[in-house]
Parts: sequence; C-alpha cells; structure tokens
Amino acid sequence: MRAFDYLATVDLRQAVRLLDEHGTSARILAGGTDLLADLKSSSSSPGLIIDISRIKELKVIESTAHGLRIGAMVTHSEIMQSALIREHCPALADAARTIGAVQTRNLGTLGGNLVTAVPSMDSGATLLALDARVVLACGGGTREMPLTDFFMGPRKTVLRPGELLVEVVIPACNLGKPAHFLKTGLRKGQALALVNVAASLWLDAAGNIEEPRIALGAVAPSVIRAMAAERYLAGRSPQSGSMAEAGKIAAEECRPINDFRATAAYRRDLVAVLVKRALAQACERALKRQHERGAP
Amino acid sequence: MNSKSIVDEKLHAAVADSTTGLPLLVRSEMLPAVFPVDLLVPDARQQTPAVGQRVIRTDARQHGLGQTPYIDDMVIPGMLYARIKRAGVASARILGIDTREAEAMPGVMAVITGRDIPVNSFGPSLQDQPVLATERVFHAGDGVAAVAAVSEQIAAEALAKIRVEYERLPAVFDPLEALKDDAPKVHPPAGNIYARKVICRGSVEQGFADSKHVFEQQYRTQMVEHVPIEPHAAIALWDANGRVTVYSSLGRITLGRADLARTLRMPINRIRLVGTFVGGNFGGKNEITQEPVLALLARKTGRPVKGVYTRTEEFTASTTRHPFIMDYKTGVDSNGRILARKVRLVLDGGAYCSWSETTLGKAAILSTGPYKIEHVHVEAMAVYTNKTMTGAMRGFGAPQVCFAYESQMDEIASTLDIDPLEIRMRNAFVNGSISPTGQVLHSVVVRESLLNAARRMNWPEVDS
Amino acid sequence: MIDISLTVNGGRHELSVSPETTLLGLLRNQLGLTGAKLGCDVGDCGACTVIIDGRSVNACLMLAAQADGCSVLTIEGLATREQLHPIQQAFEVHASLQCGFCGPGIILSAKALLDGNPDPSRQDVREGLSGNLCRCTGYAKMIEAVLQAACVMRGETEDVDGKSKAGS
Repeated sequence: MRAFDYLATVDLRQAVRLLDEHGTSARILAGGTDLLADLKSSSSSPGLIIDISRIKELKVIESTAHGLRIGAMVTHSEIMQSALIREHCPALADAARTIGAVQTRNLGTLGGNLVTAVPSMDSGATLLALDARVVLACGGGTREMPLTDFFMGPRKTVLRPGELLVEVVIPACNLGKPAHFLKTGLRKGQALALVNVAASLWLDAAGNIEEPRIALGAVAPSVIRAMAAERYLAGRSPQSGSMAEAGKIAAEECRPINDFRATAAYRRDLVAVLVKRALAQACERALKRQHERGAP
Repeated sequence: MNSKSIVDEKLHAAVADSTTGLPLLVRSEMLPAVFPVDLLVPDARQQTPAVGQRVIRTDARQHGLGQTPYIDDMVIPGMLYARIKRAGVASARILGIDTREAEAMPGVMAVITGRDIPVNSFGPSLQDQPVLATERVFHAGDGVAAVAAVSEQIAAEALAKIRVEYERLPAVFDPLEALKDDAPKVHPPAGNIYARKVICRGSVEQGFADSKHVFEQQYRTQMVEHVPIEPHAAIALWDANGRVTVYSSLGRITLGRADLARTLRMPINRIRLVGTFVGGNFGGKNEITQEPVLALLARKTGRPVKGVYTRTEEFTASTTRHPFIMDYKTGVDSNGRILARKVRLVLDGGAYCSWSETTLGKAAILSTGPYKIEHVHVEAMAVYTNKTMTGAMRGFGAPQVCFAYESQMDEIASTLDIDPLEIRMRNAFVNGSISPTGQVLHSVVVRESLLNAARRMNWPEVDS
Repeated sequence: MIDISLTVNGGRHELSVSPETTLLGLLRNQLGLTGAKLGCDVGDCGACTVIIDGRSVNACLMLAAQADGCSVLTIEGLATREQLHPIQQAFEVHASLQCGFCGPGIILSAKALLDGNPDPSRQDVREGLSGNLCRCTGYAKMIEAVLQAACVMRGETEDVDGKSKAGS
C-alpha cells in the first residue's frame, strides 16, 4: 500500500468535520475489507484514511417509532446475531450470512457494503425489498432518501464529497413484512453472487398479494427493483403460476452482463427461478404469520 | 510397532493434560524452544506392515503449532526485499528502460535489468525463457527489471518509477490461430510449433473402414493455475568467498542449481541451493523463477535479498496447466469395441516451453486411454502463444486427455445404448495388452478396479 | 507514525506503526510471530486468520492501527509443544495438514467456531472453515478433526482419534 495518513475517531461530528475538511483527499475506513484490498492494488495514495469503525452511535441497532435503525458500522456478523433483526427482518440476517466468510463478516459493515456499491452486493436486495431508507450526514446537516435513490451505478452512489452514510432505516410499517433472500454463487462459501434476489409481500384479507417487492442484485449496474414484475403480482392470488410468471418478467426487465463468472443468459435464467422461489418462501412466511395471528 | 505405541501414549497424555483445565493460552514469550520432531525408526530386520498403519507425519506438530519455517518466515540480518517489474503487455519490443528515478529513491539499494543477467535464458528442455526480458516481451507476465530495497513498500514504490518504452507488436493468444502460416511468430524466426510427437500403430484408415460407427468430437480444457497458498519465494546471499546460497521453495533443487549455474555463469560447486519447506507446489515450483535475479541483486548490494511473488504474479508470471484442444475420431464395431482411434492434441504452451515436452509426451502416450485399440494414430503438438507459460501440473497432461477419452466413451455408450460400465469392460486393457507405444502391460487391474468401483457405487443404479 | 497498544497472546505491547502497516505485517515483521501467513493479501485464502477479541479476522485486511486496544490471539499463543490444544491434537492424528501453510489459519478458524458453538454440525464446520483455502485439499480430514476435537472439548471423550474404541 502507498503511504497515507490515518485518523481514528470515536465522535461522529468529528468524523464529518474531518471529511468536510479533506473532501476527496480522504477516504473512509469502515470494516476495511474492500478498502484495504483496493488500496493494495492502487498505485496512488488515498491521502487520509478516516477510521469510523469505533463510533458507537454508528453501531446501534434499535427499534424506534420511525422504524428499525441500523447504524452504518454494524458488521454483517452483528446483523446475523441481532435479536431485533432476526425478529423483525430475518431475511436481512439470511442475506448477511451469505456475505464473504466468517472472517470478512466479522470486519465488514453494512454501511461499507452499501457505499462500495458493487452490483453483486448481498446487503442491498433485502433492504430494497423492505423499502429501506438511508441517512446521510455532512457538515451542513443530514438528508434522508430511499435506498433505491442512493445507488447510481457500479461503485457509484449519490454521496457527495464530505458526506457520510450514517444509518439505514427499515420503515416501521415494514417490520415483520414477510420476505425472503436467495443467492446463487459459484461456490457456497466466499463467493460473489451470480444473482441474488429478495422478495417481500403482504397478503390482504382476501389472501391476495399486496405491496409486493422484488429486488435483484448482480444483474444491473446497481441493485434494482423489478418493478414490472411487482406490478404484475400486485392484487393476484399467490399461485405458483403467477410467481413463475413474475420470475419471467423480472428476468426480462433485468440487464445482466456476460463476464467470466456467468453469461447474461444464465443470469436471466437464475433470476426467473430465484424470484419464483423467493416469492414462494415469502408467501409461506406470510401464511404462517396469518395463521399465528389467527387470521381467517 | 513399539514406536507406534510410544506415540499413542504421548498423544493421549497430551489430551489428558488439556482436559484437566490447565490454561491453554500462554504468553508468546513463555513458549519453549521447539525441539526436532520425533522420528519413528523401525527395529532392524523387522518387517513393518506399512499399509493400513496409521502414521503421524513427522512435520505434523510443527505445522499445527505454526512453527514450520517457510521462506517468508525467515529473516536474515541486513536483508533486502526484491520486487520484479512486470511488462503488462503481451508482445512488444523494448525500446528503453529508464531506472534512474527508481535508483535515486532513498531505500532503493539496487536495480537490475535483463542486461545484467550473465546468461539470460533457461528452461528444462528448451532454453527459451529469459530471466528478465531484454529486447522483446513475450507475454504480459515477463519481468523487465528488478529492485532491491530496504522494505517491500519501497521496492513496490520503486517499480512504479521505472519507465519502460515499448513498441507494441502483434500478438497471438489462440493456439489454433498460432498454427496458421500468417500468424504472428512468438519467437521469430522460429515457427510457433515447438514440440511435436506422433504415435502410429496399425492403420487407422483400415480401422475406420472396418468400423460400424465412427464418432468425431472436439474437447477443450482451460488454463489452470496451481495457486499454492505459499507464493514462490526465495532468499539469496553470498559469502566472503564468492559462493552463493539460495534458499528456495523450489521443488527440483538439483535442476534449479544447474539453471543457476547457467544463468549466473558460475561453476555449479559455488552454488548452494537449499530446498526449504514448501507451502504447496503441485508442479508449479518445478523450475527457477526469480532465483537468478535475487542472486544478482544480493551480489550487487552485498546483502541478503528476499523475494516473494505477489498473488498476481502467481497467476501471470508462474507456470500454469496447459489448455488442450483435443480432436477425437473413434471407430467401433456394433458391440462398441474400439477398432481405431485418431487423436490430435494441440497444447497451448504459452510463451515458453517449460515442461511442455514432458507434458506433451505423457499426454500423447495416454491419449487413447486404458483401452485395447488395434489401430492408433496420435499427433500432438505444443504451440507458442503470447500468454503465461504452461508447465508441469499434477498429471502432466494426463487429466486433460482423460477428460476427452472418457467423455467420448460416454458418448459412444449412449449412442449405442450400451451401459457405460459395460463398454469400458469390453475395451479395457488386460494382462498382456500392448500400449500404443508397444509396451506389454503387466499387473493390469483396470477391469477389477472398475468392478470394485461399480460395486461400491451400486452401479447400475436401480430406480427404487 | 501511530502509537498503539495491544495485547498479543497475553503479552502487552506498546508500539509505533506506520499507518499503512497491516495487522499481519505488525505480527510477522515487528513481533516475529510468523504463524499467520501471507497467502493472497486480499482476504480470500484465510492463511492470515487470527482471533481478535474472540472474533476471527483476516489480519491482511486490517490495519495495525485498527487493533489498538484489542486482544489478539495467534497460533503461537494457542498451545505449547507439550500441551497442544485439542484441535491441534486432532489435526495431528487425522493427518489434516499436508504442506501446512494454511494450518495456523484453519486451526484458529476452528477455534473461533468451537468457542461460539461447542457442538457444531458437519455443515457448521464446513461453513466455519469456508474462509480458509487449502490447496492440498485436505478439507475432509480437517472437518473430521474439528468434529472430533469438539467432542474432546465437550468432555465427552478423551479419544482424539475417534477410531481406536471402535477398532478395539
């Protein structure tokens, strides 16, 4: 690695101030699993590294009236182990379990995964399927937006120089929303996703699908929602035929690429199958939930 | 037997200790010196039943304690760190190498280029590989200059300051393209085919004419890197009498010593090559790589010099397994008995011969499979391309041809509706069978092995 | 330079490191603890695995400065030659290591796994070791060894071999 300066801070305001001062000549170290690999292959110095992994308020997982707040510095292992997350959005814990291996999950953070913004990230799909929002902070204050608006393309986000992702919020209305995450990689451990898929839905009183969400990873410049498939599914009864059809629609609307891991055609096939399966699993969770609550 | 029981006793004693609740965590400073491992020596004139015995590897304890000294764990006082600048272009003429800026860096102790290598070529059968490229770059992983510095960090930064001017030349990456007359020549004026073997037995034309069915397929395999978890590593140092000692993770140290003698233009008796513990070889550490460079940097600086390949260099600048393009034409009678087989193998050799000739020979001999075939014609060739060189890897070409002939066997079985096991039983070598190269085979148990395997996997599978 | 203090294998160290020093570089070059290996340098192979405050991490993907105030366990702190950890014992008897280069990392991954889950299933062990590559491909024997070590650590048996009773 080329020489750089390093500052660790335990104070969020100081982190934002430092970032504001140094702008593009500073880089944020969260878990470091992507950053260090990057720095090792880079021929230029990053200038200043600001280590924010010890800022306590960024490591909080808490349920508020607003929703479930997950600090940007929460690690994937912590997501897997969090009782709150396992209760309110278990699909997010399932997704965390598929990231890297134990060692990388112990270091890597949710915020880092989102900011790195590689299309194959495993955190994004479930969060999109739960309409998650992100909170960004800078010297001038904070702004909040839906996660869908956060991604701009491969390794590109709307973060401005001097701006920091501080937390992810899953809206209160979506806590407990039946959801499911599925991923296919070339091997089970330590593999990037060829495709990952998350689906969430409610079943209304008549047993029809309401507010379906289908999110896809690794098949577009960023993690995306399969909006056409969602529109098709809304209001339909959860039959296996309609879920298969939604999978086909999603396969058509995604934009996968050919690379050395898989062809675009194979990725499309995977999308069709994984969407169908994720929807079926989400439905099963929904029915179980209805059953538990004594619904008709 | 008595030695085995001693080991058992020790093992169980140690477990008993660890389960009595004694603290396992100790301060590193308190670690005792590690003594040489126990050796199991059988009693004289006593036959020990080797098969079926459980043996504790002599190096097992050192490995488990993390105390096995691999090259990168060794530090010699005053030691410098070397890095090699890689070309990054597949085919080019080197117009100039400017090392001045790198040499001026504080902490950089020496820089060398190919012009500093006394004899700048080596290779186990053809000496077609430069230690560092001088006039021409043959593949992107070629080294063009090397640096020794007081730290790995400075050595890496110095590489960025070495300026190399290239005139790009046409390159060829596909071995079939490389066979064409108008293809760019990788090592001009020589042609791109650098090794060829032909095996003929009987008359394949006659065999095909007698055949009821003829099958023709092409099979391809890909390039594979060995990826030892320990990268290539070596340390070189000189003594006051002008003798060089090289510690290396190299497998073939005697060959390596001869290659060092050649490239350094030194009598072999002034070269000491110490083979150390190897963190994975798999055929990828069978010839010298950076050793002459380290020796020259060590001589230039008067200091020990260590070099450890980066993971990227492992992929781009060390040998790999040959990709094969395999054309199989096989004639069989109505019972699936093979009468004739014609094989054409094209081995993608990459930029240098390395162990291609050995691989080529083995692949050709084994290419018709363990089957009795009257009429055989095999033509195999190794071809230069502007890619990472291919060399030895577990099996020397045997796995590639096995993939082809067994795949075709299944195709034949399926087309003729014969059980895959049965078709192999009908064709397999037996005692006294003659190989394509005329060797009379003894102790042949192909059929017995097949039947054993079939029994164990409950073949044929019966639907329940 | 950055001043850090950390505990390594029970010993306290006050050190000064350059910002770009990785934890692996610190352990290997400054403290002479070479059990953790540099394999891929990007967190894929797990040869540099160490345990920090009870969690296994890739020491190549962590800056030394990030370990300030932490407690680090490396293979050198796990046991002595005469008093092995049951995992090391089992690895020895099951011939789980061949070239040995991946061994320290794998043994520490196994320790982190068993510390958190004393009774793992075979699949748990596979997952627990999935961040460590062995190119000699001794995985099957490692998984056997970890399962057997778990039995020993639970106090169910002293038989690290797992075979001698069945064979007698």
